[in-house]
Amino acid sequence: MSDPHPAAPPLLTAPPEDVEADRLTDQMPALSESLRRRYDELAPLHRAAIAVLTWGFRIGAALLTLGLIFSLIRREALNTVSEPFADVLPGVLRGDPAGVVDLAILWFMVTPVITVIVVGLGFLRLKDYRYAALSLLVLAVLGASIWLALD
Amino acid sequence: MDLVLAFELGLVAAVAAILGSMLGLGGGVFLVPILTLFFGIDQKLAIGASAIVVVTNSVVGSSVHLRSHFVNMRLAMLLQVSTAAGAIAGALFGVSADPAIVFAVFGAVLVYAALSMALRREAHGASITFGTPDRLRLGALFRDPATDAEVSYIPARMPLGMGIGAGAGVISGMLGVGGGVVLVPAMNLLMKVPVKAAVGTSSFMVGITSVATAFVFYSQGKIDPTIVVPAIVGVFAGGQIGSRLTRRLRARRLSALFAAILLYLGASLLLRAAGVTLPGQR
Repeated sequence: MSDPHPAAPPLLTAPPEDVEADRLTDQMPALSESLRRRYDELAPLHRAAIAVLTWGFRIGAALLTLGLIFSLIRREALNTVSEPFADVLPGVLRGDPAGVVDLAILWFMVTPVITVIVVGLGFLRLKDYRYAALSLLVLAVLGASIWLALD
Repeated sequence: MDLVLAFELGLVAAVAAILGSMLGLGGGVFLVPILTLFFGIDQKLAIGASAIVVVTNSVVGSSVHLRSHFVNMRLAMLLQVSTAAGAIAGALFGVSADPAIVFAVFGAVLVYAALSMALRREAHGASITFGTPDRLRLGALFRDPATDAEVSYIPARMPLGMGIGAGAGVISGMLGVGGGVVLVPAMNLLMKVPVKAAVGTSSFMVGITSVATAFVFYSQGKIDPTIVVPAIVGVFAGGQIGSRLTRRLRARRLSALFAAILLYLGASLLLRAAGVTLPGQR
């Protein structure tokens, strides 16, 4: 008499999660390769951001040092409140130490904004329009805070 | 500028940066409480100074993380939308809020940071979950210099991450801290981002977040160059020392001490919110 419940073929007795694991293990090299390609693809964008941040810091530090040297030479104290935006540039042009220090502070504040612009352009160059648009959105949010400051 | 006070401020900022960089929290978490509690500096001016310092610190620090590919640029931009918007809301509230409310929130954040440090755990193991959809192309890899192994991951739970990012932004804007205290554990524990990538991505993000805060405080006349300049110099020097010390000392071995310092500062701020000033404070 035949068994009313014959054993299932070996392939079907394997737990489904093992089958899934095998299938996913097969995908691993392809996925790793895809992430490696992405790593290489983003390298120029990283280099551009590093250049902006490095030069941003160097210029800011130079301005700050210059402002402090002017302040010591002229024996002028720094302001206890930063000048409004509109008054910073005229102060710098007059060689006013407080103006130069305010410009250094503003320069440090603007450096990350420039970085976002460069990152957005980098995504655009990669034809990654989704993240180029997101970078633009971040810029718009930062723009709102600058607008609040100017208002 | 009073040179003695400037020197003291620079020294305090350096110590805050050393502690902050050893813990991966940034200097603001220590700077604002020390400036307000021990120097008697106006809370809003301390927060404004801290926001500028966080920006400067991020400008210097994120280059190192970018070189190592620890910064996940796509993840940063995605989270940054809600984080920067949160920072503007937080800063607009913080700049005009009752100082007692700001002290209370800051105290609560520091107590949370102290407790999370004392109970710190880290998401271990291969972060990558094969089969996890990567529709947003957020997956990334980097080479971990400690093990010389490639680490691959795909961030998970993005909607939750964006919600937490908005909360981190509000805290950052209100208190002038970077927000890494919230972002790093959220990315690591909830979104399954490896801790080095979480710290690198957060370090890049906090500079952008704090720009939003800094502009709001600048517009309200809450940026005092006599505080900001020594703080920037001190934080830069302290950050360099802190990053070297981190390689030699194992910060985790000191985590109980740091957690105690954070707890003391947090409790002091909560007491200050209730109108109590502890001995030795102003």
